[in-house]
Amino acid sequence: MPKFSQTSLLWLLMVVATAAMAALLVTASGDDPRWRTAGLDKAVERELAFQARAAFLQKVYAPVEALLAAGQAQTALLKLDELERSFSGDPHGFILRGEILRDLGVLDRAIANYVRALKLSGDYLEEASPLSRRTEIRHLVDQGLRELVPRARSNPDNRSLAATVGELHYLQSRLAGGCE
Amino acid sequence: MKRLLLLLLPVVAVAVFSAGCDRIKERPVLRIGYMNCNNERETMERFAPLSRYLSEQVGVTFETIPVDTHEFEERFRAGEFALTHTNSLLYILLKEDAGLKLVAADKRGHYGSRTAGTLIARKGSGIETLEDIRGKRLVFGPMMAPTGYLAQYDLMLQAGIDPERDLGYYAIPAGSFKHEKLIYGVYFGDFDVAAAPALDLEEMTREGKIAADDFVILAQSQIVPYCTFGAAPDLDPVIFAKVRQALLELTPTDTVEIDGERVKVLKAAWVDGFEELLDSDYDPIREMARRVNMPPYQTY
Repeated sequence: MPKFSQTSLLWLLMVVATAAMAALLVTASGDDPRWRTAGLDKAVERELAFQARAAFLQKVYAPVEALLAAGQAQTALLKLDELERSFSGDPHGFILRGEILRDLGVLDRAIANYVRALKLSGDYLEEASPLSRRTEIRHLVDQGLRELVPRARSNPDNRSLAATVGELHYLQSRLAGGCE
Repeated sequence: MKRLLLLLLPVVAVAVFSAGCDRIKERPVLRIGYMNCNNERETMERFAPLSRYLSEQVGVTFETIPVDTHEFEERFRAGEFALTHTNSLLYILLKEDAGLKLVAADKRGHYGSRTAGTLIARKGSGIETLEDIRGKRLVFGPMMAPTGYLAQYDLMLQAGIDPERDLGYYAIPAGSFKHEKLIYGVYFGDFDVAAAPALDLEEMTREGKIAADDFVILAQSQIVPYCTFGAAPDLDPVIFAKVRQALLELTPTDTVEIDGERVKVLKAAWVDGFEELLDSDYDPIREMARRVNMPPYQTY
């Protein structure tokens, strides 16, 4: 009986396990209808969850949208404060706050809020998503590059401006497809 | 030889210990004047942890000194404070009159290091626009408050309303918590209109004291810097740089020990963080002060 070291045995076990998995994949894929149904179910479930979330957000944040439509930006911010007591840390709250602050010309705070939202959910960058804010974020980045970057260059020792430019570059990289 | 070493050991230990004590004794003691918002006790509770943190980071012993707004200029001119923490209007006053240097600004609320002044009325009162406030009862915040008095006075002048002639009357509440008092004053109907800082509306809404729908915001000023750290013109530049760095690097998890208890520095100070601003960021307040004829630009 040949003697095997412990390492050799582990290698052998790994090769056997990999071969078994490959065999399973080959036999299970293809025409088996059970796999197709399971995959379909998952896609439906995902879509349902997504639609439900979009509808939920629309309902919860409707008062904020209504105030914005009426031109009452400050009251809309206060309404967001109220909602945050129930939905603390919700990325959609950060998105709306970012939009309001951008419209009020508070670029640094708008950028900070979009960054917080995108770190929590990438849905807002998906072109096809009903939640998509891709265009708005692109415009914000363009505006930031035009207005904030020259200001930061003129004040190279200012760490707060440098931090805001860093956040701007984060948004830019996410638009370019970079991951968290 | 061993005996000699044993005899020398306590002598060396005492020498080392004494040198350490001397170093502590030699540590400079500097005073930070903090503008009282409501009362001295609250100022101490808010800012003693921040002074302790700065002492640890900078290697200087900073003392926390609560200061009333109207005393600030005189005491600063007398050289009492190495650092100041005041509202933005007082920062401008001390800069123009006594060479105060900008260190950093507090960050708090939606607008970060800035906030706005608003004029509010109770929803359903029939006051819907700025024009409706003529002949009405208005309550201001303290006279030196940039977003509780100055910004609103300016808003009215800009809209062609002279607060001295066109209002029924106006008042300033007495005592502490003036900003909250004036918001409640409108809420409970003692006044028709209030000059409320947007930051106080935010805080009170977040705490559930008021609801966003309780008031109509009749007008809002542009956003301007709020609470500000300044430094005396003769402060050692090395200490200045260390203080600024320590403030900018302060995070919500940083703690210090106060009376045997670990305290979160930013939470105690009611601040989200600090930001490095440019002096030109304060120009909108300078313009407001000129239009309203307030210090340091008042003319007679």
